[in-house]
Amino acid sequence: MTSPLTELAELSRQFAKEAAEVADSAAYEALRVRWLGRKRGIVRQRLAAFKEVPPADRRDYGQAVNKLKVEVETALADLETGLAAGEAPRAPTLDVTLPGRRPLVGAVHPVSRVAADIVDIFTGLGYSVAEGPEIENDYYNFQALNFPPDHPARDTQDTFFLRDGRLLRTHTSPVQIRTMKARRPPIRILCLGRTFRYDNDLRHSPMFHQVEGLAVAEGITFGHLKGTLEAFLKRLFGPATDVRLRPSYFPFTEPSAEVDITCTFCRGDGCRVCSQTGWMEILGAGMVDPRVLEECGIDPDRYSGFAFGLGLDRVAMNRYGIPNIRVLFDNDERLLRQVKR
Amino acid sequence: MQFSRNWLGRYVDLPDSAEELADRLTAAGLAVEGLERRGGDVVLDVDVTTNRPDCMNHLGLAREVAVLFDRELRWAPPRLVESGERTRDLVAVELATPDCPEYVARVVRGIEVGPSPGWLREHLEAIGQRSINNVVDVTNFVLWETGQPIHAFDLDKLAGPRIEVRYARAGERLTTLDGESRELTPEVLVIADAERAVALAGIMGGLDSEVTAATRDVLIESAHFDRTAVRLGARRLGMHTDASHRFERGADPGACRAAADRVAELLSEVAGGTIAAGAVESPHPEFFGAFEGTVDLSRLNAFAGVDYPPERVERFYRGLGFAPRPAGDGRLRLTVPSWRYYDFWQRRDDGEVWEADLFEEAMRMFGFDMIPAALPAIGPPDPGASAEHRKRERIRAALAACGCCEAINFAFGHRDADAAFPGLDRIGEPVEIANPLSEQYEVMRRSLLPNLLESARFNQRRGASAVRLFEIGRLFPGGEADEIEAVAVLAGGSSPTAWDRQPPVDLFELKGILESLFERFDGVLEVRPAALAGFVAGTGSEILAGGRSVGYLGQVEEPDAPYPLFAAEVATSALAEAEHPEPVVAPSRFPSIAADLTLTHALEVPWAEIRVAIAEAAVENLSAYGLRERYSGAGVPEGAVNSTIYFLYNAPDRSLTQEEVNEWQASLTGKLQRRFGWRG
Repeated sequence: MTSPLTELAELSRQFAKEAAEVADSAAYEALRVRWLGRKRGIVRQRLAAFKEVPPADRRDYGQAVNKLKVEVETALADLETGLAAGEAPRAPTLDVTLPGRRPLVGAVHPVSRVAADIVDIFTGLGYSVAEGPEIENDYYNFQALNFPPDHPARDTQDTFFLRDGRLLRTHTSPVQIRTMKARRPPIRILCLGRTFRYDNDLRHSPMFHQVEGLAVAEGITFGHLKGTLEAFLKRLFGPATDVRLRPSYFPFTEPSAEVDITCTFCRGDGCRVCSQTGWMEILGAGMVDPRVLEECGIDPDRYSGFAFGLGLDRVAMNRYGIPNIRVLFDNDERLLRQVKR
Repeated sequence: MQFSRNWLGRYVDLPDSAEELADRLTAAGLAVEGLERRGGDVVLDVDVTTNRPDCMNHLGLAREVAVLFDRELRWAPPRLVESGERTRDLVAVELATPDCPEYVARVVRGIEVGPSPGWLREHLEAIGQRSINNVVDVTNFVLWETGQPIHAFDLDKLAGPRIEVRYARAGERLTTLDGESRELTPEVLVIADAERAVALAGIMGGLDSEVTAATRDVLIESAHFDRTAVRLGARRLGMHTDASHRFERGADPGACRAAADRVAELLSEVAGGTIAAGAVESPHPEFFGAFEGTVDLSRLNAFAGVDYPPERVERFYRGLGFAPRPAGDGRLRLTVPSWRYYDFWQRRDDGEVWEADLFEEAMRMFGFDMIPAALPAIGPPDPGASAEHRKRERIRAALAACGCCEAINFAFGHRDADAAFPGLDRIGEPVEIANPLSEQYEVMRRSLLPNLLESARFNQRRGASAVRLFEIGRLFPGGEADEIEAVAVLAGGSSPTAWDRQPPVDLFELKGILESLFERFDGVLEVRPAALAGFVAGTGSEILAGGRSVGYLGQVEEPDAPYPLFAAEVATSALAEAEHPEPVVAPSRFPSIAADLTLTHALEVPWAEIRVAIAEAAVENLSAYGLRERYSGAGVPEGAVNSTIYFLYNAPDRSLTQEEVNEWQASLTGKLQRRFGWRG
């Protein structure tokens, strides 16, 4: 025979099960009558059964049956409230449209983003990153790069000079010289960093950033320069980008080329940005001048190489639609935090 | 530089389409940046690079066009009808300096100065030159035709008449054609007559000897001047003219006589007059000897990465004036034409022209488009380390993850700002820029903070309720000391809404950012209180690594700021990247038991001491501990503070019992209470 206490516990579970199935007020009423009905309600019957319990167990039984009664009454009251509130099942009152609390996330500068992407592309092609000082001397910045003293080619690189006769590097090319003097081919490096020119207007900042690449080995051809630049520029600006090389002049490359890409604004149709040409000038490149190789102790009859350089600031402005270079160095957090990739 | 299509048409048959002409020139290195139709002419705006002074004139550009389109270049030597009078009886020339290696003087007498004929005016006006009179226009025409700068003197106004090329005397003055009276210095090369300077050599003529309406006899000067001499003189005088532009880049040393003859021919045609016989001409100097070199076609093809048809290569060199001769085994012997003298001036030690310089000529004539793109096969990745770059990228990622934005500022600043913060390892005075843009940018920075603080102010002025910036950059400690790479963080303020409930940045949040940065590099941030320039007293501390000071942090002394700003600067050398990452410690699989201790102790007791005491107690199975809370106020005695410390016990191999943890914790509590507990 089941003990009266076990029977009460079983009833409690039974009630919970039935209460969970109540969906409307008719079902609620049926449940109420079945359990709390004045004559035949289950709880009433159990209360009445009190006198049948052996005296020694009456105290425990009394407590248990009272507990069941409170449980049933409370649950029925809650059910009634819930049904009155629109027949909906009970739910926590939570406004899930409230704004989430976000962790504060920072941002890397647009120029650093672009630099990192370019380093990634060239790391994949087997290049490493080389470093050099920002204060340079005339030899590394000009002479070793085949800019003779008092040559008009220097006019294109307005220079900040220091009182002690040194200068602020006008390009990252001195790092190429330092690397070629320190190592033997094959060499494949990227040099990136701050560069300085005496210039200050909407299009020019006295400080800007360059990345340059250099590859020197036996059998390097102009075709390799083209292939490398095409691979690079299509990765950076998208696979639909066309690349065009035009002969030009830099003292440290021979032959030299200006490199154009399909205008990123009109995709080559011609617009105001590209002066209706469909092309944008993006970088300078060429085969390393044999005089430069020789100056660095590399035999130009045996080795050849190519080099290229571009302004990171211009690429960043182009990528993020930044209208003027000075905005890049305002360090306005409202702008910086928008840079996500 | 502007070129007239009609003018070019004098020397070569042009393609019908100006666009086609522009495209081919651009593809050959003479970038046509604009085409403008003016009247019956088309004006080409060509960007001629500094190494191509030979193309800064119509004949030179026409030569390129002739080669590109495989057409004849029309250029006949001038035909002169000379009088019986000999030039050398009319004028004497003396060259007192080797910086004028060649001087050709011709005389035309009995001319009539007047307006130029229509063809002459039209050509000059097409390229934006003003017509002045027939004599000046002819000299200008020949400049734009052949590239040789010409000057015409009124012969009657030259004392002697005698020409001397020499350097100016100190204090000597000359009023130039533009009406400026200029004081000359001994680095300025001049043309003088028997008495005084009458022209600035290669730059501009003098007003006194100018050709005027009354001029009857002219002396034509067609000379070659050293390009550095012209450049330095022009720079000293702050002048830049069509003539100096060409001489600085290198005029054609073989053109003087032909250009003088051409001027004489045209003058007699448009201004009448008779041409005196011959010219006064300095002997052609030795050092303008012909430069020669050899092109090996197989090496050319290997260099370019394409197979060029040999007969076209040879035709290009011939058209460009290199007089190719077969030298056997697919090689061509070439001679550099005089108009390319300065472009090929730097030769090999054995005197031969560099082959790459010659390769360029063929490659640009074919155009780079015909070279197929290929990737080089060089072998394994470059052995360079890229370590510095990788480190910077990790610093960026770490600080961005702490909510900071990367700033980039100029590497120079104001002298006063240099002294505002301690900087790292500074030596003596800052490195000064000799030609700064302004006093705001006159010295190289020795701390990132002054400019970064400026960036914070920029944000604050625009209403930012919080700033969190960082910057990585080089410092220039002074003298020729090596550059130091540093990283700086500057933060303050809080989110504008309570909902986002970020508390305002305080010193310990900044310190936490740095601790987290150091942790990324397997380091531990150690600090030592220090009085530091630029920081609020009592908030500053030095950052130590291996006992050496590598940076500092504190609250910025910025009384007018809308909220306190906190800043730190550290040498990135302190963030050493180990070659391999530290191995991780596998966490125990058994449950841990937590315990707390609230220790009331004197305010002066530094947390670092308590922390070290706990570590030194070496409590069994104590796996973690730290500060939970600090409280002072009601219930805490004056001069004391409550530090609530949490402890976590955990064994790697079993479940601990509450009893044994209670025992360890009681023993530790006793030790800490005895040592630090408040005694009033």
